[in-house]
Amino acid sequence: MTEKILELKNLTKNFGGVVALNDVNLHVNKQEILALIGPNGAGKTTVFNMITGVYQPTSGEIIFNNKSIVGKKRFEITKGGIARTFQNIRLWGDMTALENVLTATDVHSKSGLVGSLFGSIRSRKTEKEATVKAHEILEFIGIDEYGDRLAKNLPYGVQRRLEIARAMGTGAELLLLDEPAAGFNPAEKVELGNTIKKIRDAGYTVLLIEHDMSLIMGISDRVAVLDFGVKIADDLPSVVQNDSKVIEAYLGVPTDAS
Amino acid sequence: MHTLISQFWQLTFSGAVQGFIYVLISLGYTMVYGVLRMINFANSEIFMVGTFATVVITRDLLGHPANGPDLHGATLIFTMLLCLLGSMLVSGLVAMLVELLAYRRLRSLGTNRLAPLISAIGMSIILSESVSLLTEGRAVPDPEVLHKSSLATILGANIRIDQLLVVIVAPIMFFSLQRFVNHTRLGKGIRAVSMNEETAKLMGININRVISITFLIGGLMTGASAFFFETVYEATKFNIGFNIGIAAFTAAVLGGIGNIRGAFVGGLALGLLETYASAVLGSQWKAITVFIVLIVVLLFRPNGLFGEAVQQTRV
Amino acid sequence: MSNLRDQGAEFWAKWDRPRRVTFVIASIAVAASLPFAGNFSITNILNTPISSYQDVLVYPVGMFVLMALGLNIVVGKSGMLDLGYVAFFAIGAYSMAILGTHTHLNMWEIFPIGIALAMFAGVLLGIPTLRLRGDYLAIVTMGFGEIVRITALNTQKIGGPNGIANIPSPPSLFGLKFNISHPNSFFWVVLVLILLTIWMIRRLSIRRPGRAWEAIRQDEDAAELMGVPTLKYKIWSFVLGAGVGGAAGVVYASKAIFISPDAFTFNISVLILSCVVFGGIGNIWGVVLGGVFLAYLPERIRFISNARQLVFGIVLVLVMNFRPDGILPRKKREKALLTKDDLGGKND
Repeated sequence: MTEKILELKNLTKNFGGVVALNDVNLHVNKQEILALIGPNGAGKTTVFNMITGVYQPTSGEIIFNNKSIVGKKRFEITKGGIARTFQNIRLWGDMTALENVLTATDVHSKSGLVGSLFGSIRSRKTEKEATVKAHEILEFIGIDEYGDRLAKNLPYGVQRRLEIARAMGTGAELLLLDEPAAGFNPAEKVELGNTIKKIRDAGYTVLLIEHDMSLIMGISDRVAVLDFGVKIADDLPSVVQNDSKVIEAYLGVPTDAS
Repeated sequence: MHTLISQFWQLTFSGAVQGFIYVLISLGYTMVYGVLRMINFANSEIFMVGTFATVVITRDLLGHPANGPDLHGATLIFTMLLCLLGSMLVSGLVAMLVELLAYRRLRSLGTNRLAPLISAIGMSIILSESVSLLTEGRAVPDPEVLHKSSLATILGANIRIDQLLVVIVAPIMFFSLQRFVNHTRLGKGIRAVSMNEETAKLMGININRVISITFLIGGLMTGASAFFFETVYEATKFNIGFNIGIAAFTAAVLGGIGNIRGAFVGGLALGLLETYASAVLGSQWKAITVFIVLIVVLLFRPNGLFGEAVQQTRV
Repeated sequence: MSNLRDQGAEFWAKWDRPRRVTFVIASIAVAASLPFAGNFSITNILNTPISSYQDVLVYPVGMFVLMALGLNIVVGKSGMLDLGYVAFFAIGAYSMAILGTHTHLNMWEIFPIGIALAMFAGVLLGIPTLRLRGDYLAIVTMGFGEIVRITALNTQKIGGPNGIANIPSPPSLFGLKFNISHPNSFFWVVLVLILLTIWMIRRLSIRRPGRAWEAIRQDEDAAELMGVPTLKYKIWSFVLGAGVGGAAGVVYASKAIFISPDAFTFNISVLILSCVVFGGIGNIWGVVLGGVFLAYLPERIRFISNARQLVFGIVLVLVMNFRPDGILPRKKREKALLTKDDLGGKND
């Protein structure tokens, strides 16, 4: 029996009068790659924003590791084990790649302000450990050679990967990746797909928003489809691929309507 | 407390006068905030320059002596109209200048968000210090042209002609502005930029022009307010904008910054509140009352009465 | 154009430890002997026409460098615009004045109290306001600076507009006398405070708090979502800045002997901000340079002193528009915080 790491129960979100999400039920199993797909404006990023505490749900529950996380502060949610990347890259451009990851590892750092100031033994030790860990993560993602470069000067593809590395730096078990392959060419997509599988195999759980079907079908363990804020499918990739409702959502009205 | 009860209607009237002066200045903050999402820090100095425009027009341009006789009839109307339009024009042009020197270049460079704030503060210091050097830091009296006669006593409140003028004309200007923004092409351009700059750009709106005009309109309103201020108080000083600026900004936040209707309600509410508080605590604590209102509003109702969110939550 | 700050950093990186230590000691020695420069024929061009050169070194020069460093923690490190920094200076100064004239505590004993009170005021103001967007924070702090001044002005118990006179000078320390005829001792105290502040900022910058501030400054939402407790670190930065301002205030009051609300106007906040902006927001050496330059020049060149504020206004506009990173910009180098050497060392 697989274990659920995240569960969305009857999740609804209204913006003013607009229903962005309507009664969505969804769960993510431990150590799986779940792809969340759907046409533009279907509510995918809204799901991410609610899980990470950017928005509060209008109604419904978000259960992470058997505990509700609704109403928690954003940094507490991250500390609790959920980290994300951004569709439009939001690295700290004037920091090096390593510093970007280091800042994320600070989530669990015991080093406080006073310790940092007087260079306490604990503080020095955590600094060192954090740096080693940050390098390991960069290495794992395959961008360690860029560690000393400012994030804003990195090639686009490396920036996207650094976003993932930074999310991993927080020590989260669940990674929310918002279109990590946006703007990639086919070869880069394949490479990224392998990285994401590697991340899962290392023990992480991945919830992924993506548009590229071949990437999704290649790496996902399960695919959930949102359309106009409603979940219309949730199954194995091969099943979802042939679901008539999904095809309809992507291609528009069925052909016999014309 | 006793004064507040015994002179309630008098205070309410004076508070309304003060409130309408705030309403027009806070438009300068609110409109610029609407299009730029930035506080126009120099607006207080735009107001100050407006008060000096009135002084210069009456004293130097029309040669009205400091202790000269009050004017009547057509001369009076002509003088006041000239002062009103002159103050508006000067403040409006200075506001455009501020936009050009402090905001435009930085907007095109897309630098960090601190830079335009600091350069606007710089502009505001340049304005107030230039005037301070020209006037040797002294208070400057404004020759009286309108005899401050009492028209009537209503509910124990003494209704003075200059104050009545503010209470009547300021709302007219406010509602004309509102009509302008809601119903003209230019006004619609301003609203479009306020809602979404990118979309407005795609729709072919010249953003720089709209922003420039928004500063102009904000300046015109602030300048009108400066004229009313001079009509009632008849004196000015290089640093007069500081406290009034904070108060008008507070009024804008109270009503919900970026919201034109909010400026009206916020300005009026603050004027009344401040006047009542002065009666109870003493006028030296007026600035502190305003500050406390600002903190309380930002804490408990950061969106103001009608406005948009102040806190950063967009991702 | 090559970056002066980076060239300096390159030199520094090439040097070994003894060389660095020598350089630091030599620099401190030069700074500490500045008060004597007015006595020699080569260096006496430094002498100021109106106030005595030794006094100018303490206030404004030393004080403004110190306060600019303090404000830099807030504006430069975490990117929050504080326009009421003078309030903390005033709180430190009034702590010294009130306690010094009403109790038997001397300046050295009041010193930590003044800092603590300024920091406490920082917490009180910070908790409600630091959640706000940058420009709101600017206007609220601007109001706060005025509130402190107006309160002092209207409270007769602390002298109202007349201020407080006869503030005692500090007792001698390590054989140094502190009074009106010994301004140099005060300068050295300020210098020590400046060095301590620089040490503190450097320490924090390369560790967790520095990274958190940097992340907040660059993208606060992203910082919060990556697990940085942003409010906590913003308050820390605000409070540390306030503490430095309070420290400056205590020393200022005991040196000046007399203080009044006039010494704590909005203009002072602007001046300190100009120092930070002029030299290079966020860069310690830029801030020091800005402080020295903008505080000293109006004292040396008389026609500037009349139009001092105007000059600062122009500085703010010009620097922001044409050199937004100041004369010595913050680091642009690509280098890790910890070098390989630091990592290779044994565990301590």
